Amino acid sequence: MVMQSIITQLLNGFSVVAILVIAALGLAIIFGVAGVINMAHGELIMVGAYTAAVVGKAGGNTFIAMPVAFIVVGLLGLAIERGIIQWIYDRPLETLLATWGVGIILQTVIKLIFGPELYYVGAPKILRGGFHLIGRLPFPWYRLFLIVVAACLMALVFVVIFKTNLGLKVRAVRRNRAISGCLGIDTARVDMLIFCFGSGLAGVAGAVLAPIKSVSTTMGFPYAVDSYMVLVLGGVGNLWGVVAGSGLIGEAETILSFIFNNVIGRLLVFLFIVVIIRIVPRGIFGYSERQ
Amino acid sequence: MQQIRTDAHIRQVSRTVRNIRHTPMIPLWAIIGGTAIVALIGAYPYYGTDAYVLSLLGKFLCYAIFALSIDLIWGFTGILSLGQAVYFGIGAYVIALSLKMNYTLTHATRYGHKIPDFMEWNGLTEVPHFMTPLMNKPFAVVCALAVPTLLAFLFGAITFKRHIYGVYCAVITLAEALILQDFIIEYQAYTGGFNGITDYSNYSGKWFLWFILAVTVAFFIIARVLTHSRVGTVLKSVRDNELRAEFMGYNVANYRIFVFCVSAFMAATAGAMYAAWVGLVSFLDTGPVYSIEAVIWTAVGGRGTVVGPFVGAFLVKGAEFFLSGTLAEWWQIIVGGLFIAVVLIMPDGIVGSLAKWARHRRRAISREVLEDSEPNVEACQLDWDAGATPKVQEKTR
Repeated sequence: MVMQSIITQLLNGFSVVAILVIAALGLAIIFGVAGVINMAHGELIMVGAYTAAVVGKAGGNTFIAMPVAFIVVGLLGLAIERGIIQWIYDRPLETLLATWGVGIILQTVIKLIFGPELYYVGAPKILRGGFHLIGRLPFPWYRLFLIVVAACLMALVFVVIFKTNLGLKVRAVRRNRAISGCLGIDTARVDMLIFCFGSGLAGVAGAVLAPIKSVSTTMGFPYAVDSYMVLVLGGVGNLWGVVAGSGLIGEAETILSFIFNNVIGRLLVFLFIVVIIRIVPRGIFGYSERQ
Repeated sequence: MQQIRTDAHIRQVSRTVRNIRHTPMIPLWAIIGGTAIVALIGAYPYYGTDAYVLSLLGKFLCYAIFALSIDLIWGFTGILSLGQAVYFGIGAYVIALSLKMNYTLTHATRYGHKIPDFMEWNGLTEVPHFMTPLMNKPFAVVCALAVPTLLAFLFGAITFKRHIYGVYCAVITLAEALILQDFIIEYQAYTGGFNGITDYSNYSGKWFLWFILAVTVAFFIIARVLTHSRVGTVLKSVRDNELRAEFMGYNVANYRIFVFCVSAFMAATAGAMYAAWVGLVSFLDTGPVYSIEAVIWTAVGGRGTVVGPFVGAFLVKGAEFFLSGTLAEWWQIIVGGLFIAVVLIMPDGIVGSLAKWARHRRRAISREVLEDSEPNVEACQLDWDAGATPKVQEKTR
């Protein structure tokens, strides 16, 4: 019986890890490559979730909502980048303030359009219900779906970063912006595309997370903070850092929340993170720069 | 002959330079202007009758101190904390709890218990033992100020010693604020949860307003003296080029910890006075949103200037109180726009921009003085350009 509940918690933990990976991926790319502290990340997720709600109203399901959200939020990200962020790449801490402003505006505009009430997005029909893995405790299909989506998005990002021409440039800019520029890479364009792509990923995250959470204008902020914690723990600029950070935070939080309660669990995880980065200040997979 | 004349020039020029560069610790205009503002606020109970405005004034002074505490670490030292409200909030909660428990000694709750109402709702029958010492008001005040300062020291000792700053510091402090907020909501039996702590006898009236005003003035003078002393120069150099400051032999981490503690102390004082003045503390006063709001007051007023936070807090909060009623939802859009505008258009803030303008003007005037005085000052002029007009670098790394 004890064994069974431990395994169940581990499995639940996996889905939490998957959620963290999904939410943090877009941010990892934006933060890791473009060096922008995007505080509007949570709001981009929120816009993705609202897109899923609209798609759901129009008769679509999550599978349709994902690409739609990618495009909608990707374009939104493009607008934000062109309008605001392109002027302040050299002032990272101030991108934080500006994007916080963007976040407030997005929240208010969405509230003006959709009203203050909560929206509920149903899971697609084939993903409803659950299956019995061990004993009598059901494991919902949708959680398994989340794990699959996390793996797929991870693979997609890996392919884009390591197998495409754009990815090559992205890695070059990440390593040394000035020399990449000298070699003829349009670094401003790389930043723009990366911001656009990362925003799109945030949109997908919103569309996928919409069925497990009621959609509201303030739903995004906790995701954004969690994503930042994942990056701080895992290390910026390395995709494995996202996996490591999500894995540690997700499992630790689930298990500690099971033993104590939610808040104590979160507090312990926070202390755990502080201790870890006290030991490795740049995160587990942090990119150590020689200066 | 020529040599002697040049020496004389050098002496004259350096005297001029000294006069310009060594501005007094607190310049005359600041004393006059400050006194005027203090008189204007302090005399309100005599010429104004609106109790609402009176309460707003006290509130705004607390906001101004809070913004000043952020300015010290962000504007002068380059540490962006998004969780400064943690210190404000702890100070406020300790005082509010103390006042509430004292209040219930004479005002029994609905079911006859002499404990705060939120404890009664959550099934407690007596005040928990670890909270009883707070009944003693002086002890509560000491707690409200010492606990946040100690917490800041611990935080600083953990992070700054390992060169964790910038974005990392911002994110960790943000999470800190979020967790404290969750904590307060979860343990509502001890903190009042969602409803916060209300309904206790708060201090109002002119005497407490004067007290707040006095503390505000004291803190602004302390901040001015601190930032214009030798320590302040080191702090600014840490902000502008941490590595170089370290190579010159300064222990950067210790300076950061020191200023972080001072800042937490100020924030806690602001919170404690806020709780005592307003008579309502809620979990929002400890959260990340409030912290970042205060960062924007500082940015609007002008970070890296001592007067900036005061101006920013009064302007933004004032505008909010008078406009958010009529504009409702749109006010949020204005606030969002303010964040963007301050970053894109006016990174120095209001006071910072004015100061820059004044500096340029003063420099132009002194140039004229030099050129008019005597011929053959080219050499000194060069010196002057190199020494007296440091390139103003105010970017945060």
